[in-house]
Amino acid sequence: MFLPVRSEGTPMRQPVDRRAFLAALGVTSLAGCLGGGRDGGSGPDTPGAVTEGGTKTTGGTDDVARGGPPTTDETLPLPMDPEAIQEEAVSGGPPKDGIPSIDEPSFVEADEAVETLDPDDPVFGLAGEAETKAYPQSILVSHEICNDVVDGRPVAVTYCPLTGTAMGFDRGETTFGVSGRLVNNNLIMYDRATESWWPQVLATAIPGPWNPEPSVRSLREFRVVWTTFARWREAHPDTAVLSRDTGFAKNYDRDPYGSYNPRGGYYLPESGTMFRSLSDDDRLPPKTVVVGTRAAAGAAAFEKDRLREERLVDGELGGDLVHAVYDPTLDTGYVYLNPDGATFEYHDGKIVGADGATYTPASLPLDRVLAFDAMWFAWAGFYPETTLYAR
Amino acid sequence: MLGDATTAGSNVRGHYFRTRQALGAASRRRDSRVVFLFGTIGYLLVYLVTVGDLAYVGGPSSEITVRTVDDLSRAVASTGFFRFGAVAVVSVAGLTYILSPLNTVVALLLAVLVGANLSLTYLGLVQPRACGLEASTGVLAGVPALLSGAACCGPTILLVIGVQASATVIAGFQFLVPLAVAMLVGSLFLIGRQVDPQLL
Repeated sequence: MFLPVRSEGTPMRQPVDRRAFLAALGVTSLAGCLGGGRDGGSGPDTPGAVTEGGTKTTGGTDDVARGGPPTTDETLPLPMDPEAIQEEAVSGGPPKDGIPSIDEPSFVEADEAVETLDPDDPVFGLAGEAETKAYPQSILVSHEICNDVVDGRPVAVTYCPLTGTAMGFDRGETTFGVSGRLVNNNLIMYDRATESWWPQVLATAIPGPWNPEPSVRSLREFRVVWTTFARWREAHPDTAVLSRDTGFAKNYDRDPYGSYNPRGGYYLPESGTMFRSLSDDDRLPPKTVVVGTRAAAGAAAFEKDRLREERLVDGELGGDLVHAVYDPTLDTGYVYLNPDGATFEYHDGKIVGADGATYTPASLPLDRVLAFDAMWFAWAGFYPETTLYAR
Repeated sequence: MLGDATTAGSNVRGHYFRTRQALGAASRRRDSRVVFLFGTIGYLLVYLVTVGDLAYVGGPSSEITVRTVDDLSRAVASTGFFRFGAVAVVSVAGLTYILSPLNTVVALLLAVLVGANLSLTYLGLVQPRACGLEASTGVLAGVPALLSGAACCGPTILLVIGVQASATVIAGFQFLVPLAVAMLVGSLFLIGRQVDPQLL
């Protein structure tokens, strides 16, 4: 089942201008934050401001003028034409907003959250410059979207249970809602200003019945860390935790799909998908977790279990060398762009550079690109040309 | 033609009258009332569990907690096919009940129909000269509604049996509750006409 993947090591060179490629990735400096974001973020882990190296955000498109969410100059890759993606959309059953987004979230301190969260329960962590927040999977499984404000910045923290993806987006003055439709089993969000459809993983507008001709642009996104409550609390003792007081009467002790603690039901690696997926790539069991990164020039996926074992896995993205680095503190992975091919190795819990300098997994002196956990079938369906680095 | 229509109408009225008489007879007998009660409550509980409104989540606390929402308009918000929003969460002894008024109305309608079916089936079985009754008819008619439970995305039953959903399957699920109601009413008439109240 675990087939060989494209070789690591020296990257193939592609006729892509480096500056343009970096701009397309939207990588940013590491200075002052946890890493670089795809676009306009001060880092993939923070919904920060535009910094050097990041592409500028758009502000004058028609949809933005209508109050739509802020978008990027560069559009993320799509597996097919936007119209074809719309044709692949299926109803999940609930109507528009039948799965209600959380629009007025409240938070509790971590000490209070221990009453409802076990240490190994998954949470989606967001570390801003001033605020740190955790969004329990047990709550978001019933809402999928939390429209929040972090560091004074309107954001949406989103989660699709069927593809195992937690992602953050800038939302501007609007809010996101759940359309009730899915593509490749992935949540299709809609923004309440222009009513455009936004498949979560693609993060790009596609036509839909409520807005047949949206500006096909990509959202500004930032990293949300999939980790456990105990790990996040250890790393961020002062974190706020999304409260169960969401304004809705839901049973947050029951996950209708299965369980992550321990893993079971729909979330088991070998289990099938709820709806037809866009890919039949069986190099990995469908629900195997990969850490994926994508840009206009390509996509790469690192099997998370391999990353856990090897701690540092080399790969390529758009023809350039990238390093996927495991962070045991949060049980997550980061992906760094290394177009100059500088040498890094893993030794005794540290990443060691060619000059002998050591780095923590979160602090390599390279541009970090946005990466996030996803179920393999979802990643392969959306990015069929992806490279895969598996065991 | 007119004669046929008149005859058909007369038959329907006859079935209705006979069923009503049988239900009246069932309500007067203690044993059939017990069957009705157990059937109704049993189906109600099973239905609430299968659609996710009632769940055992564990926990040692025997304290009753009730959490209500401020926005009561949630009660009429559609969350799926014949599924509506909830206004309160009631927890006790590890059991959690999501109180949705309209879901409860649907559940009670189905449960009363199942209870009535079981009650008449019971009468049919115990009356001396009854024949041709299928004891399982009323119960089976309630099955489609039990399949109508849905996770946030996709029908729960497909998760359980591991079958992939399609647009057609999803579209079909919206008919499960009305189908169950129609089958339960139909079977009630079917059973009711075979119960002779004079013999009870």
